Amino acid sequence: MDYGGGYSTTSYGAQGGAGGGGFMGGSQGGSQGGAGKGTYGKDTLRPVTIKQILDAQQPHPDAEFKIDDVEITQITFVGQIRNISTQTTNITYKLDDGTGTVEAKQWIDADAGTSMDITSDGSVSKPKLVENEWARVWGRLKAFNNKRHVGVHVIRPITDKMDITYHLLEATYVHLYFTKGSLDTIKQENGTANGNQEVGYGGGGGDTSMNGLRIPNVSMNAKRVYQVLKESPQNNEGLHVQNIAALASMNVAEVLKAGDELLSHSMIFTTVDDNTWALLEF
Amino acid sequence: MASEATPRISAKYLDSFTNQIVRILGKVVSLRGETATIDANGSINLHLNRDAHLSLNNAVEVVGKVQPDLSVKVLQATDFGGNIDFNAVEAVVDATHRYKEIFYESND
Repeated sequence: MDYGGGYSTTSYGAQGGAGGGGFMGGSQGGSQGGAGKGTYGKDTLRPVTIKQILDAQQPHPDAEFKIDDVEITQITFVGQIRNISTQTTNITYKLDDGTGTVEAKQWIDADAGTSMDITSDGSVSKPKLVENEWARVWGRLKAFNNKRHVGVHVIRPITDKMDITYHLLEATYVHLYFTKGSLDTIKQENGTANGNQEVGYGGGGGDTSMNGLRIPNVSMNAKRVYQVLKESPQNNEGLHVQNIAALASMNVAEVLKAGDELLSHSMIFTTVDDNTWALLEF
Repeated sequence: MASEATPRISAKYLDSFTNQIVRILGKVVSLRGETATIDANGSINLHLNRDAHLSLNNAVEVVGKVQPDLSVKVLQATDFGGNIDFNAVEAVVDATHRYKEIFYESND
């Protein structure tokens, strides 16, 4: 009689009963868990190569993965399907884009029953995914038993082969944006450098310069901290990490890391204590 | 994992990738049974395998091994149709080697 009441006392049972499988509950919990931690508002969709997925850093288990020191949430990539393996709970696609190989898992929604139809019968409206054809995936990077896979939200065959080319260029562009700064900044920097002093185009490979001063190839965050220190009013004690964090709208950990980088390049120095920095100008 | 990467190259990169497995996107200019010639910013001779089905004038993406004589032994060929912008393709090859950190592991 009191069917619902009985189940609702144990949330575990209710999930299992309703979802029709423990895996569904798990995967839902996983993605919602991420949302609960406050990443929901800053979700991004980043185009990446498979090598970037394999090289992504995870500071500690359960943390979001980072590529180029930037947290990733949703990612999109392309790949040639090397293998399709259909299991009771999921379909695993092995994808290769020429930069590496990664597995993408699509959980089967037993209730909806739509994903199943892809393999059983090509007549459904869903497009067909076959081995050796190219596909695009939208999903989220997961780690399970030290093995990485991508939890698939959507996987679709690529109909226009130019998508592959465009995707790789887009992934490069975004990688450069995060490692070298936006196109506008770079143009500006080069402009200033050429105007103020004799910094030739030749330096373009390694160093970029900022406001006429040569600075080594440092991360975006380090450039931001440097910029803040350069532009903010301060006395000869420089600025405290907390102030820099506020001015650059970065968190303290990021500022500290950026600071280490700048310290190692002797671009800033510590003043009254280890966490108060000033520019080393000469 | 890294060894599975197949760097994208064009004709001018052939000599730096001998004995390696690469990925080349080019246009089929001639077909002669077991061999074929494609244009990928320069012409490349291919030794075809049995499953390779190339169409004249179409673009083809080849995964293959660069031989010492700079021809390529095809391991896999995928037809890419007739609608490929080869300027963009060359831009990807250029980006692959200029920013290799996101494309392939290299020894240097």
